[in-house]
Amino acid sequence: MPRADIDALQVRKLRNLVEWADVQVPWQSKRLRDAGVTADQIQSLDDLKRIPLMTRDEWMQGQLEAPPYGPILAVPESAAIRYHMTSGTTGKTPIRVLDSMKDWEWIAEMWCYGMWGFGVRPQDALFIAFGYATFIGFWGLHYAGEKMGCLVLPGGAMATDARVKTLVDMGATVVASTPTYALRMAQEARALGMDLASGPVKRLILSGEPAGSIPATKKLIEEQWGAKAADTAGMTELGTIMIFECESQPGGTHIIEDHYIEEVLDPDSGDPVGYGELGERVVTSFGRGFIPVLRYRTRDFVVRVPGSSCTCGRTFDIYDGGIRGRVDDMKLVRGTNVYPRAVESIVREHAEIDEFQIHLFTADGIRDEIEVLIEVPDPAVDVDRLLESLGRDLADAHEGLRFGVARADDGTLPRFELKAKRLVDERIVIGSEGERRGQT
Amino acid sequence: MMQNHMGAELTEPEAKLVDCYRSLASTLQMHGEDLPPFARRNALKALAALWQVMNGLDMDPGQVYDLGA
Repeated sequence: MPRADIDALQVRKLRNLVEWADVQVPWQSKRLRDAGVTADQIQSLDDLKRIPLMTRDEWMQGQLEAPPYGPILAVPESAAIRYHMTSGTTGKTPIRVLDSMKDWEWIAEMWCYGMWGFGVRPQDALFIAFGYATFIGFWGLHYAGEKMGCLVLPGGAMATDARVKTLVDMGATVVASTPTYALRMAQEARALGMDLASGPVKRLILSGEPAGSIPATKKLIEEQWGAKAADTAGMTELGTIMIFECESQPGGTHIIEDHYIEEVLDPDSGDPVGYGELGERVVTSFGRGFIPVLRYRTRDFVVRVPGSSCTCGRTFDIYDGGIRGRVDDMKLVRGTNVYPRAVESIVREHAEIDEFQIHLFTADGIRDEIEVLIEVPDPAVDVDRLLESLGRDLADAHEGLRFGVARADDGTLPRFELKAKRLVDERIVIGSEGERRGQT
Repeated sequence: MMQNHMGAELTEPEAKLVDCYRSLASTLQMHGEDLPPFARRNALKALAALWQVMNGLDMDPGQVYDLGA
């Protein structure tokens, strides 16, 4: 679809969405009216910036004041058929959401975009390594698989060894999991003496962590599975995915622009940034009418590039490198910015490392230290050389910041099925994070 | 010929699906409460699926929550 047509479609859908939110959600109506925005005034995408930004904090506060869902529902609760909530990995109050029958068809439709775009077809057998609980995760992918006519193999409530055996025994050709768990299953397969690379799996659909677009992690996953891996990203706040990597694997993820408006803003000033510049994703969703979402600040860092940078022919723009990290992820260590994603991209260059953890702590009651703990199960590896090499690579990538690198006993570091939490910050915090960065 | 909001003409089978959606929505609107419970729920499920077709064809299906979908 040409860019002008995408813009025209988005303007029309935006006008409908603003009208729906204004009429159905008093909380949204007040925000829009306070900003002087009405649906009939929406004439171009330039009018988008007049709509107030919405934050997770506002959403959480709304839930606390009007439990359990807050003032964001456009439809009576009785019209809902499903309840879900955020994963809770941030430790914050989870966001609770409701959806109707139509919304669930749409949630699956978005996953269909991603799966079809990556080459999944009705004849595929799709194994979903996911716990199927209140976290929305891969629920939408499950229904998308059914909608597409795939054979869906639900992998809930199973230990890792059972999942590996099942997906091999059942001839799964596509596997969906987090990047971390894809590596975990590959580890388990090795322990079981199974060679996944010679098995039937041809595609891995990754979601839940930025690692799906970290080249070193992705390469490792593809090598260990003998399959292509594609990144996707979604949010409970929207119910489904907004971006997916197509079969051409352009090193990023296409934005589903006929269902969303994605803006990229400077997180401090709120001003738009251009193609190729790092900024925060702000999303407006047209699909889920139960909870209208207008200009939601995701806290995700992205770099947007034109769709023409991919060879697949889609005109949807791309987030180069997928989700680059979270605005809140950055840690300041002795004056240097450290992003967990950047550390992972270096650690994953060393395939002999099975698992790792980033440990921040305070030494001598005052000095920030950063240490990377690694598990290296192969006795043939020269660990001393590996520790030295990794420490040097990490320092080189972080303005010379000294990283401690130490070996952990095999199997002692945590393993994850959902979103991995590999950063442990045990520093004694003096002042706010802003004060630590000299910003206040 | 039927056109979508972008001015593109729909094919005959696409137009038939649009008619099907509109007929189903109208039936549920006017007679939904008269239908046996499972017949109504199945019709709503079909409506929810056809809503995606309408949306994909850019026929602006509107909201269907008031019908129960």
